[in-house]
Amino acid sequence: MTGDRGGGSGFSKKLSITAILFIVYSLWFVANSASAEERLIEVKAKKFVYTPNIIKVHKGDTVKIRLISEDVHHGFYIDGYGIKTSAHPGQEGSLKFTADKTGRFSIRCSVTCGALHPYMIGHLYVTPNNLWLWGLLSVIGLGCISFIAASRKKQQDEKLKLFGIIPLEWRFPLTKFKPVRALLKSRWFPLLPIIFNLFVFVIILMAGFVGGLSSGNYNFGVMIVWILWWVLLMMFMVPLIGRFWCMMCPFPLIGDWIQRGKLLTVGRAKSWGMGKRWPNKWRNLWPLVILFWVSTWFSGFFTVKPFATFLLLGTIILLAIIVALFYEKRTFCLFVCPVSGFQGLYSNFSLFGVRSRDQEVCKKHAPKTCFVGNEKGYGCPWMEQPYDMNRNTYCGLCFECFKTCPHDNMDLVIRPFGQDLFAERKRTDDIFNRRSTDEAYKALTMVGIFLSFFVAFQGPFGHFKDMVTAKTFGGYIHYLLESFAIDFLIIPGSMFLFVYLSKLASKSKEVKLKDIFVNFSYCFIPVGIAIWAAFSLGIILPNGSYLLHIISDPFAWGWNLFGTAKFPWTPVFTGVMPYLQVIVTLIGLVFALDFGYKFSQQTYKNVDEAKRGWIPILIYFVLVHIFFIKLFVG
Amino acid sequence: MKKNELVAVILFLLATVGTVLGILAFEKIRGAQFFNVELAARSPLNGNWYPRKITLPYGKEVRIRIRNIETVSHGFALPDFDVSAREIKAGEVVVVKFLADKKGTFPFFCTVWCSNEHMQMSGELIVE
Repeated sequence: MTGDRGGGSGFSKKLSITAILFIVYSLWFVANSASAEERLIEVKAKKFVYTPNIIKVHKGDTVKIRLISEDVHHGFYIDGYGIKTSAHPGQEGSLKFTADKTGRFSIRCSVTCGALHPYMIGHLYVTPNNLWLWGLLSVIGLGCISFIAASRKKQQDEKLKLFGIIPLEWRFPLTKFKPVRALLKSRWFPLLPIIFNLFVFVIILMAGFVGGLSSGNYNFGVMIVWILWWVLLMMFMVPLIGRFWCMMCPFPLIGDWIQRGKLLTVGRAKSWGMGKRWPNKWRNLWPLVILFWVSTWFSGFFTVKPFATFLLLGTIILLAIIVALFYEKRTFCLFVCPVSGFQGLYSNFSLFGVRSRDQEVCKKHAPKTCFVGNEKGYGCPWMEQPYDMNRNTYCGLCFECFKTCPHDNMDLVIRPFGQDLFAERKRTDDIFNRRSTDEAYKALTMVGIFLSFFVAFQGPFGHFKDMVTAKTFGGYIHYLLESFAIDFLIIPGSMFLFVYLSKLASKSKEVKLKDIFVNFSYCFIPVGIAIWAAFSLGIILPNGSYLLHIISDPFAWGWNLFGTAKFPWTPVFTGVMPYLQVIVTLIGLVFALDFGYKFSQQTYKNVDEAKRGWIPILIYFVLVHIFFIKLFVG
Repeated sequence: MKKNELVAVILFLLATVGTVLGILAFEKIRGAQFFNVELAARSPLNGNWYPRKITLPYGKEVRIRIRNIETVSHGFALPDFDVSAREIKAGEVVVVKFLADKKGTFPFFCTVWCSNEHMQMSGELIVE
């Protein structure tokens, strides 16, 4: 049996090498088939679309652009080339350049022209689009490598190792360092970062309020929240530190204060709130799956209009206070805050985690002060059991357990990416389910939401932008239905199809389809993190320079606090941006493929089933990533 | 312990009430140095210039802070005093200066095509 398999993998190796050679050859052929010519292209600009929205030229062509505005002053900036022009109505703009760089470049409006101005985009293709071909090739190559690696397995892995190198249970305790331990045990931490963020959010709210319906790209609230915060969250905080934002989020502070009676020190044990328990049925990620999806209905408003940002943040702050009055502890953070769900789920992938140091010490320790609290601190506000925690989803990094532990047994550890995704069930109280449909759907809907965000904010389709910003009621309903269909039908449906194929291929009789579906959905965690990071690159690199303006003039009152108020809009690194986006997307794929085979082993009962069952899922993720690469650069 | 709690509460108040009051006070003091008349630019369909009528005493130096509180470019021209701001982009703030040395009613306009109703975007300056 194993001998046969060895022969099979040899054949597949030859097959994949032939496939790669064929693609390289066609790439070379395409690259040499074009000849230079002069192109005159007339581009009409109106809010918020260029016509044509997609311009195709060959490498070496001399391109002349005639820019005509149909409504207000519009600009025309080409990523990577860094050249621009602008046109008033009745006053054309022109641009002449040699298309010497290949690939797909975004064309951006360079003159604030309306609410959606930063997202007014066209595409310039300079063929041959080598990056897209190389990206495609890399995805297929990685798929082949993963296939070969998996088909060589002769038995179940005894120890799970990330990329077969780093043992997944490896940990490095940061509390080894005395200053770290002292910091985490201090009651001022994380209160001081929270108060700093409170200060920032007071300015954000005020800017949102006085900003009204003015342009979002010159508003402190809109820019800090949707350009800086969102990007930091998606590129650094969530993938590296997990719920780092939850640690310093100022929103639950007032609720905490009401419940505890003290801001810093340890106050009453019994809350002033009603302290109700959140219903068991909803003690999972489902409320957050729904709430985050619902909040994206309004993405076309709050990401561009200051007052909409004010309303959104105000609603969240009020909700945080109201929920704290009715329900116990951090019920708001756990089950109501729209951005909590993906942070929790994705933080299972992150490098950091709060864990108990020595399980034996915890077993003997009674009562469990980390859960019930003592005079040094509060019982876990996130209702986790820190003594027994092996997953990050519901740990908000508030560090109360460091304060309450009399044995100094809590640790902040660095561990390999994705350790928690393989954590075993061990708790008696199983309200916090693991590997379950709520988390699977959270992972899947995050991909769907990414798609609508990408098309709306980085795509060249004006009609979709009109739909998202509710230019017509019918269009808006259309967008909501489309978003529902993608998030809850198409993506899970396509996944389910390949899950079904996986079950057929594995020839397993016992394993339930639902378990296969849920387990493999977790591959979408690294994938989701990667595509959101790639999306964030496409937001921060072109638009980051607005931040210099808004920190100097946060309320558009003509201030110039740091002397940067006149700093013009300056996109940076837009030439390398597509390469970075491809690399980040590929990193996501590498993790998904590595985790995927491990999930397959955990799903199916023996190595042969796991190997066969893995193939359809491998193909699925290769196809999905070809689609992502196409989206970013193709 | 009690002292620390007090410090925390003070920090909380500084971050919230202190920030709001500080910002408003700073704007009031700063504004007094830079301008004595405020004007907001809005397209006609969104309410036109605000205020549309500016009344000033004769003989004073006038400094108008013009804020574009919209999402498209506007302009400003007050031809009788030879004052203009060519293009005030969205979110931009411009201060124009002149001496109110003529009595009467003088029109001011938007000078950038801001919408189909651009031609109606005008207001009056009254010096008495």
